[in-house]
Parts: sequence; C-alpha cells; structure tokens
Amino acid sequence: MNFFKIILIAFVLPFSAPAKDYNASLFGAKSDGLTLNTRSIQKGIDYISENGGGTLVFHVGRYLTGSIQLKSNVSIKLEEGAVLVGSGSIYDYNSSGSIKAIICADGQQHIGISGKGVIEGRSALLLDNMTRLKEKGFLLDSLMQTPALLGFSNCTNLSIDSVNLWDAAGAVQVFRKCTEVKIDRVTIKSKNAKDAGNIFMDNTRVRFLNSYVEVPGKALQWSGVPGEIKIEGSVDKKGSILQPE
Amino acid sequence: MVVPIIWLYCASTKNDFIKQLMSLMRKLVLLLLLVTISYSGIAKDYNATDFGAVPDGVNLNTGIIQGAIDYITTHGGGRLVFTPGTYLTGTIYLKSNVVLHLDSGAVLLGSVNPFDYVKDPYIGWMSMIFALKQENIGITGTGMIDGRGFYTANNMVANIHKGIVKDPLKQDRPNETNRPQNVYFRECKNIVIKGITLKDPASWNQTYDQCKNLYVDSIKVDSKNYWNNDGIDVVDCDGVVIKNSFFDAADDVLCFKSHDPSKICENVVVDNCVGRSSANGLKFGTVSRGGFRNFKVTNITIYDTYRSAITFAAVDGGIVENILVDGVKSTNTGNVIYLRIGDRWSGGKIPAMKNVVIRNVYAEVPAKKADSGYLYEGPVEDLPRNISPSGIVGLPGHPIQNVTLENIKIVYPGGANPHYARRGLTKAELDSIPEMPAAYPEFSQFKELPAWGFYLRHAEGIHFKNVTLVAQEKEYRPAIVADDVKGISFDKLDVQEPDSKKKKQVFLHNSTQVKK
Repeated sequence: MNFFKIILIAFVLPFSAPAKDYNASLFGAKSDGLTLNTRSIQKGIDYISENGGGTLVFHVGRYLTGSIQLKSNVSIKLEEGAVLVGSGSIYDYNSSGSIKAIICADGQQHIGISGKGVIEGRSALLLDNMTRLKEKGFLLDSLMQTPALLGFSNCTNLSIDSVNLWDAAGAVQVFRKCTEVKIDRVTIKSKNAKDAGNIFMDNTRVRFLNSYVEVPGKALQWSGVPGEIKIEGSVDKKGSILQPE
Repeated sequence: MVVPIIWLYCASTKNDFIKQLMSLMRKLVLLLLLVTISYSGIAKDYNATDFGAVPDGVNLNTGIIQGAIDYITTHGGGRLVFTPGTYLTGTIYLKSNVVLHLDSGAVLLGSVNPFDYVKDPYIGWMSMIFALKQENIGITGTGMIDGRGFYTANNMVANIHKGIVKDPLKQDRPNETNRPQNVYFRECKNIVIKGITLKDPASWNQTYDQCKNLYVDSIKVDSKNYWNNDGIDVVDCDGVVIKNSFFDAADDVLCFKSHDPSKICENVVVDNCVGRSSANGLKFGTVSRGGFRNFKVTNITIYDTYRSAITFAAVDGGIVENILVDGVKSTNTGNVIYLRIGDRWSGGKIPAMKNVVIRNVYAEVPAKKADSGYLYEGPVEDLPRNISPSGIVGLPGHPIQNVTLENIKIVYPGGANPHYARRGLTKAELDSIPEMPAAYPEFSQFKELPAWGFYLRHAEGIHFKNVTLVAQEKEYRPAIVADDVKGISFDKLDVQEPDSKKKKQVFLHNSTQVKK
C-alpha cells in the first residue's frame, strides 16, 4: 500500500510543485537603468511559458524596457527595490500587442504581476519625446497612442498584487474583455500626465481590493461595455471609497 | 527607377565566350552605375538623432532606427543619416527607397545581447540589418558597422549552456544561423553598398541572397573575430559589381554561393579588390546547387591567405561556366588555383565546369602556414603532405572542360621530402589517389599529390600558355601530372627547378596531348 502511495506521490508531485522561479539575469537583463532589456525580458517570458510556466523575478535595480507581452502561466515578480522603467522613446512600444502598454497581454490565462517593486512610466520623458517627434512631423498616426503601464485584453485569471504603479504617460491600466481579474494591495500614483492616469475597463469582470489610487480625475472608468466590479477597501487620496463611472 | 534588362546570352564554344562576356560586363557596369547615379536623386536627408537616436554607445536605438526607416519609406524615401557617434542597435529592417548613410565617425554598433537580434523566420538567419523583398536600398558613407560578434557569439554560447537557447554546439560553436551577420539582404533589387567599413560580425559578414543589381564599391571589411567571418557572400544574385574594396577575413573573402538548385549566381564583375583570408580568396561555393555563370574578375590581390587564392567548387550539382579571371597577384598564399567537381549534395543534378580562363597571374606559395598570427587562424590539418600543387580535379565521367591558363608564374618553395610523404608515378600510386566525391572540397583533400606545380585529373581541354613554374628547392615530384585528361596542350611552358636539367617535368597518365 505504501508503495502505491509513493508511486502516487511521485506522479502528483511534479504537477503540484509550485511554479518555478527564474531570475531576469538568466536571460541577460541588466539592472543598471541604462540597458534596454525589452528583448531579454521577452525571451524570459517566452521561455518560461514554453517550459511549463513560472515566475520571472526581478531583484533590486532599475530595468529599462520597452513593451513586453506576458504569456500564459507566467508571472512577473518585482521584488522590493526592483523598478521596471518604461523607455523614453515611443518607438520602443511598437512591440505592444492589441493594447499599447509597458506590460501587455492578449488572450492569455493565469498571468500575474506581483511583488513590492515598481512599474514606472516616466511620463514627462516619453511625452516630451512624442511632442518633439510630432513637431517634426515624424510621428506616424499608428504611434500617437500614449502607452499605458498595463494593458490586457481577452485574458482570464489575471492577478495584480502588491505592486506600485507610477507615472503613466497614458492610462495606468486598461482591461478589455477580461474575466477573473483580481487587483489587490496595489498602490497607484500617477498624476503627471494630463488626460491620463485612469483605469479603463471594457466588458471586464474585476475585483479591486485593498488598493490606494492617486490619479487626476476619476480613477475607475468603464469604457465601452460595462462589466462587473467588486470594490473592497480601495480608496483615493481623500480616503473616499472608489466608485466606477 | 532602373530599366530591367534581360540578359541575352547564348551558349558559346571554346573561348568565344570571352568576347561576349566582355561586352556583357560593360553593359552591366554601366547599368549599375546608373543605379548609383539615380540614388543621388534620393533627395531628402533625415538625421537619425531627430528621431531620438542617442549616439552614446549605451542607449539601444533599435526601435528608434526602425521607426525612422518606417517613416522614411512611407514618406517618399530618402537617406537616414548617422552623424558622428556610436549608435547601439539590434536587428533593424531596411525598407524600399531608404539608404542608411554613415558619416565618417558614425558607427552602427551591434548589441552584444543575442536576444536583441531577430532570426528572420523566412530567411532563417540572424542579422543586424535585414532587407527582405525591398528595392532601391543602400548603405553608404565612410562610417562603420561594428557587429562586436566575438562578444555576441560568446554570449550566445553562454545562453546555450544555460539551456535557454537550443543549439547542438557543433564544434563547440553556435550554428552560423544562430549568430548575427552584419547585413543580410534577400530578394532585393537595386542595392548600393559604398564606402563603409564592415567589422566583426558573429557569423558571415554580409550576405546578398537572390538579389538583382548589387553595386559594392570602396568598402573595407575587417572580419576575423569569430568562426565563419566571411568577407562578402553573394548567393544566387544576378547583376553584381564589386570593386575597389579591401577584405581581411577569417573565412572566405569574395565568396559566391548558390543555395537554390533552381537559381544561379550570374553576371558578376569583380575589379580591383585586395583580400586576406584564413580560408580562400576568390571562392565559388562551397554550397553550389544551381551554379555560377558569366564572371569577369580583374585585378585582385590576395595575400597571407591560408588556402587557395582562386577556388571554384561544383560539388552540389551546380555548374561553373564562362569565367574569366584576369590579373591576380597572390603572395604568401597556401595554394593558387583549385578547381573541383564533386558530388556532395547533387540530388541527381549533373555538375559541370567549363570555359574558365585564368590569366596574368603572379603567385608565391610559402613553405609555412600563410595565415599565422591572425585571429581565428585556419585549422591545422593532420596531413602528412608536402606543399600541394594547384589542382584541376573533376570526377570520372564528369570532366572539367576547357580551362585556359595563360601568362602565369607560380613560385613554389619546393623541397618536398619523400620520407615525410610520398606519392610516386606508378599506375598503382596514381590510382591510389582517392576520388572523394562527397568530401568537402579543399586543395589539400587528397593529402600527398604526385606533382608540385599542377595536378590534373578527369579533365578535357586544359591549355597552358606561357606558364612558368618555379621550385625554389629540389623536388622529388615532376611539375605537372595529368591523369585522365583529354587534350592537354602546352604553349611555352617553362619549368625551373635547381639541378634538374634532364628531369621530365610533365607526366601524362591516361591522357592525350594536343599540339598547338
């Protein structure tokens, strides 16, 4: 009987084992704040997704990046002191999927962003870059959209936990046709960009828990078809409970 | 912009092809000159820094350069100008009517992170600058493209060891397709590469594959910081001029290839080029599926080169036809001429090599390894052999046909030691030389050969005119051995060897001589 138990455990263990952690440096990411890591981070996500899923972990440091696409069964963990820094050139967001953002995903499942680190949009730098290109007439129409910090479409089981979201050039978060979205203990401070800083939701089912949101105007906005939202313990800078509109 | 020309070419007999080749090539040079002139009509200049490029060697400009190219190609074309500075980049795609212009002091610096490069799914290779199915493109100016391939290749090795990139690591190096080249243009038309320096790729350096109308002028290539660093690879192209250029390469210098059995590399002019290689100088192949036709190569200098100054391979079912090489200076180069028909990947196709004229050649062959001291030296071979002769070696039933060697002087070191390696002139000894149809073609592949000047086998119509062969020390072998050669002719053959007044320097076996 014990023998069969052991056999059973031996079979079950690999499947129930917690998803594997991978350090960003494995894929060549540099934490110097200067090296553009877009393709190393993307390679990390692709590799983890193709190898059974897991977590791409960023330890303390500044990781400059353009747009990266999250894939099924992959989480990004930003440890305390780790900052994912958005590139100051709009051309580095051409690698976006359906929604232009630093981290985006389309049609993926079981994905997440966690940890006590920061995702920083550097709105002033990026908006200045776009203004200068616009003045010269070099900005193609397809590039006019300012990137969000996070943009997800057609995703399910999406968790955003604990992270700090700072200084978006466009929206902070955009969700389109997503279900089972859980946002918990997130701190959002994004007030430099005009007409930005909001969380846009379209036909999405979301729980918004225990978070602090400091943005100009209304934080939570339905764009397109309203979905379902459950808000608990989430306040704006005046301490008012958040309400969608 | 350029009127397409259909090359009308009729098969010729004997050396009539030369006259036709000459007139054809004059037209070609004129045509490609027109291509370059029309480029000066690309009016508008854009400065890369105006798109936000930061030339500090640290900021990665891939996205910005691509953004600029995309803008220019959709707004009437023009030159994207790189003013002095160092522009770090990964893979970019050049698009129609865009010329990258590198000012003197401008460097396109390759990222050393292999993941910053794309392995193009259609082309199957990695490159810093790709162009796929584009027209009227170029890279000009006197600036530099520096791939920093040594670092990129070794970082790729590390990624493979870490298990995050799959590669068999054959010979302990990543496959050539898993290392970025500097330039790879495929199926493009009207290309100008002028003035630039191409340095240190991680794989081949610059490849032009199935392109039409390629004009390369006054470039410098410094390409010896990782394995397979070629000088220039021209694959199945039609209409090519390469002139006034300098190459220092770990692998083949002027390398013409034919990857596609249904294509051919043809109508090519090479003039006034200097090359140094730890492999070969002027090379056709090794991949030679379709073949090579209508080449005029003039005034080339090859020095400190490990293998052959001139080598043509028809080993994969392709043809080599109507080739003129006129004006070669080859010094400190391990071998002068090696022409070879083989049967490696022929796949049922019949290989052929005919109508080749090589003339006005002066060459010195060293006793020692010619590329000693250069980075990524050619591999030392475990071969007991004395200095190898030049070779014209076909296969039984597939002779190399109609080769003229005219106004040629080759100085060999001589001094072969028969106790070290010996191949005599008996039938048994000559027959013991293996045919090796499937082997990689190298002048040294047969180990010791029975001649010191020329070894000819399975050929028809080999003509020596005013050929001087010098052995500086006494030889145990004759100067020339011909085996299964129909119609060999000698017109003013001068053989010089110390203390050998009565030595018979030409040995014919199963061969027929025709008198001139």
